[in-house]
Amino acid sequence: MNKLYGNKLAIFIFAFPALLLFTVFVIYPIFPEVLISFQKNDGFRNMGYVGLKNYIDVLKNDTFWRANLNTFVIVLLSTFVALPVSLILALVMDRLSEPIRRFFKASSVLPAVLSVTVIAQMWIAIYEPMWGLLNSILRALGLDSLALAWLADSRTVVPAIAVAFLWQYLGLNALLFYTGIKAIPKTYYEAALIDGAGFIKSSIKITIPLLQDVTKYLLVLSILGCMAQFAHVRIMTAGGPGDISRTVIYHLYYRAFSASDFGQGCAIAILFVIECLVLTFLINKFVAREKIEF
Amino acid sequence: MNTLMILMGISFLFPMYWMLNISFKTKSEVYNNPFGLPEQWVFNNYGDALEKFNFPRYLANSVIYSVGTIIITVFFGSMLAYCFSRMDWKRKNLALSYISMGLIIPSQVVIIPLLIMTRDLGLKGTHMGLILPYSAFALSSCVLMLYAFFRSLPRELEEAACIDGCSIYQTYFRIIMPIIKPAIATQCVLIFMNTYNEFFLAFILGAEDKIRPLTVGLLNFFVSIGVSHWGQIGAAMIITSLPTILVYIIGNEQIENALTAGAILK
Repeated sequence: MNKLYGNKLAIFIFAFPALLLFTVFVIYPIFPEVLISFQKNDGFRNMGYVGLKNYIDVLKNDTFWRANLNTFVIVLLSTFVALPVSLILALVMDRLSEPIRRFFKASSVLPAVLSVTVIAQMWIAIYEPMWGLLNSILRALGLDSLALAWLADSRTVVPAIAVAFLWQYLGLNALLFYTGIKAIPKTYYEAALIDGAGFIKSSIKITIPLLQDVTKYLLVLSILGCMAQFAHVRIMTAGGPGDISRTVIYHLYYRAFSASDFGQGCAIAILFVIECLVLTFLINKFVAREKIEF
Repeated sequence: MNTLMILMGISFLFPMYWMLNISFKTKSEVYNNPFGLPEQWVFNNYGDALEKFNFPRYLANSVIYSVGTIIITVFFGSMLAYCFSRMDWKRKNLALSYISMGLIIPSQVVIIPLLIMTRDLGLKGTHMGLILPYSAFALSSCVLMLYAFFRSLPRELEEAACIDGCSIYQTYFRIIMPIIKPAIATQCVLIFMNTYNEFFLAFILGAEDKIRPLTVGLLNFFVSIGVSHWGQIGAAMIITSLPTILVYIIGNEQIENALTAGAILK
């Protein structure tokens, strides 16, 4: 066996291609990125090192802060609204009869399987001011004053995009929570049942605490996903009206590819990485991490 | 509760039904009668959309990207995962943490150097220019999931193979690969889902029309016809979603299992 597993050449052949690919396209690009963030660079050549100028320009720009605020709003809505809703859906799913559960699972996960372009365009129709679904419902309820031009109004555009984006993954996250719930042994609930605890009480006292692992996994995943939000913004508003609904990544894209300033683009990327690392650190610090074994 | 959840389930499907409905309406009927059944059924929205929207090419590109990424990631990723779980080498743990870094680096972050690199390597405008970055970014989770799977496999089989005189390569490709088929299938589904629906890298690196995947090609179609002709927009959406919906109906359970594989592992 040792001969089989200690063979240096074999280890090289098994490990090298994947490590090389990973290094070239994931790790290596970070180095030119840092370098370019200190350059004046139009995308084709380096026009000299400018020190921290790119960073200062980025940080002085109001649009960058607006983009951060927008991204932060999406992260907050995801963490405190979308994820709890998914959790509730999962808890209810556990109580359904099998055929209904299967139907609900299949239909709620479908948006996550469809293309972002289709979903985002569909939400443009839902938000359409004249004949869109949302305003038609509001008018039917007699709430005409609430029928806004959702994607053209600077007050509503960011939450509107966030709802479309979070809706797409609501069912998938519920499914992930539900998978966690299914893994909890039924014996945990028997004692609670004898004590007369109902659905809500046993959910709060037993299910949710035992879901820690899954919750944390989904929290990290959804926060990083929201931080990197680009597609829905690009499709639904292209950052507009004006530059009001940009996210950080959209701002990066705009500076680098529309304004042809790779230096500032790279500076935004580095700042973005720092933000993500801080967030990941905070989650690790404040969300308990105990591996639960059943 | 059951009725409520059925209604919620339907609400997830309603927008898709609405788009199907709109796709059979004339340009003006969408405005006058957005929700009712079409007063006159119009079928040429589909023909018109297909004329301006090169669906077969974009679909082919999307499939090339997905399949290419699956082949590279699963082939090399499973070898590395096997190497991590069985072979003895000094810097194994270091390499394992190294590959895990891929989980926290979003691909969006390195888009600028990636674009410059694909240009310098002569990969710009080719399918490989997207397949290689996709594979590299898909590696981390693929390797870590397969690594966990390998560790749960007993070593007896390989020991028997070793006694029979199989080399490590024969052992791996003839004995191990067939055993891990279910895990590989899960990886294929996961990588396919992620690559087929990927937007950002495709939007930047796959901007040329001949290599555009569906996600980006569809957006370009929407931009080109504006928001005036919703009948055609609806038709294009239905055409684009049809393959996905068919696959989803057929492989529903397999897809759900693959999507939840990562969460269980945690």
